[in-house]
Amino acid sequence: MARTENIAAVFKRGFINENPIMRHVLGICSTLAATNLVANTLVMSAGLVFALSMSCLTVSILRSITPMRIRMMVQTLIIASYVIIVDIIIKAYLPDISEALGPYVGLIITNCIVMGRCEAYARSNPPMPSFLDGLAVGLGYTAVLLIIAIFRESLGFGTIMGYRVMPEGFTTWTVMVMAPGAFFMLGIFVWIVRTYFPQTYEENKGGEKS
Amino acid sequence: MKKSIFSVLYMFMITLVFTSVVTITRHYTQDLIELNEQAKIKRIILNVFGIFPDDGITSADVVETFNNRVRKINLNNSTVYAALENDGQTPMGYAFLLSGPGFWGPIHSVAAIDSHAEQILGVRFYNHVETPGLGARISEAWFFKQFNSLHINESQSGGKIFTLKRPGKASGANQLNAITGATMTSQAVESFLNKELLHFAAEIRDEIRKDTNWPEQKI
Repeated sequence: MARTENIAAVFKRGFINENPIMRHVLGICSTLAATNLVANTLVMSAGLVFALSMSCLTVSILRSITPMRIRMMVQTLIIASYVIIVDIIIKAYLPDISEALGPYVGLIITNCIVMGRCEAYARSNPPMPSFLDGLAVGLGYTAVLLIIAIFRESLGFGTIMGYRVMPEGFTTWTVMVMAPGAFFMLGIFVWIVRTYFPQTYEENKGGEKS
Repeated sequence: MKKSIFSVLYMFMITLVFTSVVTITRHYTQDLIELNEQAKIKRIILNVFGIFPDDGITSADVVETFNNRVRKINLNNSTVYAALENDGQTPMGYAFLLSGPGFWGPIHSVAAIDSHAEQILGVRFYNHVETPGLGARISEAWFFKQFNSLHINESQSGGKIFTLKRPGKASGANQLNAITGATMTSQAVESFLNKELLHFAAEIRDEIRKDTNWPEQKI
């Protein structure tokens, strides 16, 4: 991985070439859990983007003094601390939002993407690029989730963000609201992306691994 | 050896730093979180009686209004919330925290009945893990408002206060519309609300029968 990437390259990589959902198939639990309503997806993604970018920044700052053998423990601690701080602050100042996303916030701790980026990038790169990497990958995750959520909510409820988009009398697809709907949507989405944009994945297959 | 000691010390120090930051954040927000937690259930209890704070809707306003208008009474080892009219004396109705098994986990609700235990004033579902968009729609107004003004008369509908029918098929005073695609949740709600509400209504009637001044002496 080049150390002298510019910002655009970092974002392109996080969004497309190394998109956690499309390319690495990481963070699938939350993709399945939090995509039946666009509103849930947005809140979940905001939490993830914050926890991911801050964790990457911290892991990167500490990278030269953290002993290799305990680095995973350290990373887990850092990630968990950020997520819990977010959770506490939301509980204190935005009780209604906390109510709506209660279980999802805690899930960020165990989200593979966070530790994946800390391991793959932040622990061997300087703080600023690591922070941007976290931001880019987090936004890449957000983009994929939003696409899936828009399909699931519009087909499953006939609405987007609670506003009606389907004509009256549209028969809602109950399966889209439930877990199987997420599997179908995600599978179709990854399939389409890999069919039409296969080059990066195939090229990198024999080369460096992240 | 030296490396191992460093690792242990490093882990210890970093744990200390991060848990301290979390603890400090927690410390400064604890009162607010507790107030929010208290206000949460109090807001729902006020809401089910149709009482809203006159000035503002902050957690502190809710707690103040609750303290003015609602009294906690112990009824055969269960807690009953008695709401008072504006005069602060006349009982307006009683609310209970009721819960039962839902489809995915327990459903917690608050139900209020009038001061003669004859009518339901309202029902709210405040804590549950039902499927979003399906069972979770028990929290939507169109669903819970169906319970308003239902007569508590167990001789109707085969010993039930209400029955849930397929959406759009409800007819008659004690039939309510169930939720499309959430048969299990609907059945769970029908089962525990009927049972618990009848139980509490009977207990309140008993108390009133025994002592017409109940619950004045407890308030």
